[in-house]
Amino acid sequence: MQGFSDGGADLGQLQTTMRNIEVACTSIQMHINPAAAEATILSLSQSPQPYTACRFILENSQVPNARFQAAAAIRDAAIREWSSLSTEERRSLISFCLCFVMQHASSPEGYVLAKVSSVAAQLMKRGWLDFTEAEKETFFYQVNQAILGAHGIDVQFIGVNFLESLVSEFSPSTSSAMGLPREFHEQCRTSLELNYLKMFYCWARDAALSVTNKIIEPNAVIPEVKVCTAALRLMLQILNWEFRNDTTSMKAGIDVFSAGVRHDNGSSKRSECVLVQPGPAWFDVLISSGHVSWLLGLYAALRQKFSREGYWIDCPIAVSARKLIVQLCSLTGTIFPSDNGKMQENHLLQLLSGILQWIDPPDVVSKAIEEGKSESEMLDGCRALLSIATATTPFVFDQLLKAIRPCGTLSLLSTLMCEVVKVLMTNNTDEETWSWEARDILLDTWTILLVPTDGSGGDALLPPEGKHAAANLFSMIVESELKVASASVTNDDGDSDYLQASISAMDERLSSYALIARAAIDVTIPLLTRLFSERFARLHQGRGIIDPTETLEELYSLLLITGHVLADEGEGETPLVPTAIQTHFADIAEAEKHPVVVLSGSIIRFAEQSMDPEVRATVFSPRLMEAVIWFLARWSHTYLMPLEETNCLSNDYQQHQSMNSKKALLSFFGEHNQGQVVLDIIVRISVMTLVSYPGEKDLQGLTCHHLLHTLVRRKTICYQLVSLESWRNLANAFTNEKSLFLLSSANQRSLAQTLVLSASGLRNSETANQYVKGLMAHMTTYLVELSNRSDLKSVAHQPDIIMSVSCLLERLRGAVSAAGPRRQRAMYEIGISVMNPVLHLLEVYKDESAVVYLLLKFIVDWVDGQISYLESRETAAVIDFCMRLLQLYSSHNIGKISISLSSTLLSEAKTEKYKDLRALLQLLSSLCSKDLVDFSSDSVEAAGINISQVVFFGLHIVTPLISLELLKYPKLCHDYFSLLSHILEVYPETLAQLNSEAFVHIIGTLDFGLHHQDLEVVDMCLGALKALAAYNYREICAGKTGLVSAGLGNLPEGIFSRFLRSLLQLLLFEDYSPDLVSAAADALLPLILCEQGLYQKLGNELIERQTNPALKSRLANALHSLTSSNHLSSRLDRVNYQRFRKNLNSFLVEVRGFLRTI
Amino acid sequence: MSDEEHHFESKADAGASKTYPQQAGTIRKNGYIVIKGRPCKVVEVSTSKTGKHGHAKCHFVAIDIFTAKKLEDIVPSSHNCDVPHVNRTDYQLIDISEDGFVSLLTDSGDTKDDLRLPTDDSLLKQIKDGFAEGKDLVVSVMSAMGEEQICALKDIGPK
Repeated sequence: MQGFSDGGADLGQLQTTMRNIEVACTSIQMHINPAAAEATILSLSQSPQPYTACRFILENSQVPNARFQAAAAIRDAAIREWSSLSTEERRSLISFCLCFVMQHASSPEGYVLAKVSSVAAQLMKRGWLDFTEAEKETFFYQVNQAILGAHGIDVQFIGVNFLESLVSEFSPSTSSAMGLPREFHEQCRTSLELNYLKMFYCWARDAALSVTNKIIEPNAVIPEVKVCTAALRLMLQILNWEFRNDTTSMKAGIDVFSAGVRHDNGSSKRSECVLVQPGPAWFDVLISSGHVSWLLGLYAALRQKFSREGYWIDCPIAVSARKLIVQLCSLTGTIFPSDNGKMQENHLLQLLSGILQWIDPPDVVSKAIEEGKSESEMLDGCRALLSIATATTPFVFDQLLKAIRPCGTLSLLSTLMCEVVKVLMTNNTDEETWSWEARDILLDTWTILLVPTDGSGGDALLPPEGKHAAANLFSMIVESELKVASASVTNDDGDSDYLQASISAMDERLSSYALIARAAIDVTIPLLTRLFSERFARLHQGRGIIDPTETLEELYSLLLITGHVLADEGEGETPLVPTAIQTHFADIAEAEKHPVVVLSGSIIRFAEQSMDPEVRATVFSPRLMEAVIWFLARWSHTYLMPLEETNCLSNDYQQHQSMNSKKALLSFFGEHNQGQVVLDIIVRISVMTLVSYPGEKDLQGLTCHHLLHTLVRRKTICYQLVSLESWRNLANAFTNEKSLFLLSSANQRSLAQTLVLSASGLRNSETANQYVKGLMAHMTTYLVELSNRSDLKSVAHQPDIIMSVSCLLERLRGAVSAAGPRRQRAMYEIGISVMNPVLHLLEVYKDESAVVYLLLKFIVDWVDGQISYLESRETAAVIDFCMRLLQLYSSHNIGKISISLSSTLLSEAKTEKYKDLRALLQLLSSLCSKDLVDFSSDSVEAAGINISQVVFFGLHIVTPLISLELLKYPKLCHDYFSLLSHILEVYPETLAQLNSEAFVHIIGTLDFGLHHQDLEVVDMCLGALKALAAYNYREICAGKTGLVSAGLGNLPEGIFSRFLRSLLQLLLFEDYSPDLVSAAADALLPLILCEQGLYQKLGNELIERQTNPALKSRLANALHSLTSSNHLSSRLDRVNYQRFRKNLNSFLVEVRGFLRTI
Repeated sequence: MSDEEHHFESKADAGASKTYPQQAGTIRKNGYIVIKGRPCKVVEVSTSKTGKHGHAKCHFVAIDIFTAKKLEDIVPSSHNCDVPHVNRTDYQLIDISEDGFVSLLTDSGDTKDDLRLPTDDSLLKQIKDGFAEGKDLVVSVMSAMGEEQICALKDIGPK
């Protein structure tokens, strides 16, 4: 091996090395044989102790890239060999790097300096826990001297730069990997935060202060700017630190009511803006020392100079200063004394008055930007508002500005955003402009102000002026959205514009709009009602005369906005009527006049018009209908027969007037009032969309998945549904009408599921079962009859028959996925009655992959829903059926090769096979679960069923079909290994019963899984290995033979020795995530215990291979302590596993570094 | 009721018809479709609208099952498409003749000698190699719209 190690290096040798590296670097740049050049460079960093050579290159080479690579090599080698370096060597490496950057501070190759600087930072971190305080002092003294400016501007800059690398190295999200456990990084982080961070901040501040006066002077650009920019950047970086040790703030956080300032750390919505909570120790630096006024002064001075040479809005120093100002707005927590937030308010007011010039007056600012001024200052102003909003309550936020202006901050925010929306309206393009970004930031600000924080749903109450501001803003927003909508009709980029897509893209924005609307709900609901009625009228007047498309698109937007204002997304829960709507409108006593009722009523009446074929043809385009269905789903989830209605009626004696109006609203659409009528309308509209919009998959999908699904999720609605004539019509149409067979497969499935689910509205399980049977009888009968036909083989492949069969299977699948205890009987009988037809069809359609997959999926879903309820006799029948299914499938597919000229079709065939196998694995997993969850009255063992044997038998059938090629599909791979590891963990003994071929296959896949890239797969394999080895060891200890002898004699080597070898190989020489070490330790311990002889031998081999005597003895010691330290015993209990994990961790830290390079 | 039931009953002249009409919206990925008079397998379906407030249309990408050529078509999703009747029959492979024809054994015990081997070299090799090794091979023959071709091989054990 070509090495560059230093052993007795003379000058000539060093020069040769340098030349080699230089040549390699140049040839990489010129693309001459890059592989060889890379190998040369790599051999430098991989050779033992290359430090002298690297230093030589750094100091003497004229090629900057060579110097860069030499620095990288120092880093790699030192991190690897760290534990074998002496303290003296470690120190000298760091101080060499530091001195190097200081000496070459004026060098033009900044990237080499940055690299050397970061190498110094990384090495410093590597030794952080070993160095004494005095040693660190020495380094930092040097750095501090540099930053103070004792050696000139360039060195000052370098000093600040080094601290930047150091801080980023210590911050967990930006640290580089060192092959050490997480605890190490964590300890370094804590130590830096507690002892150094504030000191660094002060140094940076002092460095900036020392040059401020020179910068403020009316000169053109001077070199000091560079230092100041770097210092500002470092301060910003430090304030971005995720402070953790502010323990006192946690305590203060509980006391949320004491101050007008928020202390909540747990609000997850605040993703955009991170609060800065450094704790009380930082008070003197950030608050009391006039830091803020200095910074604002500096920026104000810079602003003056913007027109001059060398300075402009986006020059680095201005950008850094603004960022730091914005960051200071997020300052909160215990840094402020508990004085009811007075101090923080002053702090924010000071910042705000500085920032005000960036954004105020809004119209002037926006005009200037439109005329070509850079927008970044204005955007930073918006960001500062966002930060302030994050750190305060709406009330305090509004008050801040009142201290210096007649109107509050909310009014300013509203005017500012109105201005932005105006700009958006006038230049409506698809490009992301500054106004987009400003709108998003300001919307976030509103959201943060308006989202209720205490979890009780109580809205943040705005002062009257704030409400007014919100109302203005909302009407501006709606105006702009409507304008955008009607303008968008002409640019037909229709393809990507689907309702679901547009809703999810707009969802965040729409819910922010909703928050603003709800802040001024008394104004905004009537506004929406008016906008709707204007458009309804326009449609009616213009019917047949004018093209309605623009109005349709406006209605589409209005429906989306109104849906968000009126109701929340349930996200799996039952949403309540928004509090703002519940508590307002106190003066409304009659339900019919309640603004929300008026608005909802007008939309529902409009929707009902779609039942008229003529109106439908002219007005209700598929797209508008999608919005209508979406709105109805969202609305009915909240308002239709609400749960609170009953509670509300029982608390009859509420004196509050507001309670009366709330009650009126809630009960208006309740089951005893208009609820049934509205429900009937909704069902009729749904049926109509399924029948009268042929081929509109998206619309029908919304109806099935969204609207109907929402309806049957609530019991109160189900009670009503099953008694509705229109619902019965839907069920009838489902069984008989041809048009419903034309729905797409997913809709087919969903509709079947919905209809079955509505059975929960029936009184008892007998009627429910009866209802389900009635619903499904036509399908089972058809399948039974078809499979009994004598000419089945010839007719089965006709496209119409294939379509009917697929359709019915989809429906069956949908129905069985709605299984529940009450309907279990009916579902069981459905499944049993089609068992034989399923096998017949599998035979006939063996080449029709789409049908095969449906058959399998139906059975998988059916078994999954049934298995835990089945009595032992029934279980036996189901298991028998599943095995027949598996064998049949296997007999069709084993050894089969598809032949096609088309590579696409071949890969499709492979994908289909993968999906089938995945379904089969799911089937086995479901069977497996019988052992864990069983609701039946007798145990399965009573019928002589051994689930483990069944599953192993199934696996035996399936595994030959699963080639290593197929395991490249991540999902299949995942399913396979989770099933395998489950089985091996729960039933290790059954493995021995497999024949040797299946056994070898399983072991082979396990070995494959161990080397997989997916962490989880490796984890599962390690779990399986642990279980197997532990089982074997216990058996042997108990004097039994264990797994080895059981019919596996033909293996060249015992499985455990094989896995011991490959696991050690993996741990010592290969790449893997440190997260795996614990799982690997758990597998390694029992393996070592099983194969102690081999382990000794492997250990000795490892030691023998070491040529360096020092490393040899280190390895021997490490191996010795791996199995002996921490009182490790030879038992397999929790304590012992834990000890071994610790041992393995320290073993790997100790030896992996030098083993891997050999 | 009787009218609807008709849907489940297959047509009396089963097998005679080469294609069947089916609504475009119901044709799925992995299904079959006739495009430009060729039987194809659908590998991709996407839907879009004609104009913002227009009706849905389906965009099919499909592959000719015999020639492997890629074909595309756009059809309003409420309209009908032709779907080919694709049949597959298994035969045991008896012999491969020099002139590129195979000899197959039918269920009834007759031989079928009118089927050409694939012209593609690698496919040809797969079949010839398997046959030369003396394996018992079953070939699946796919037929649609008057054409037929070998589409799969299966080894059912040594002779």
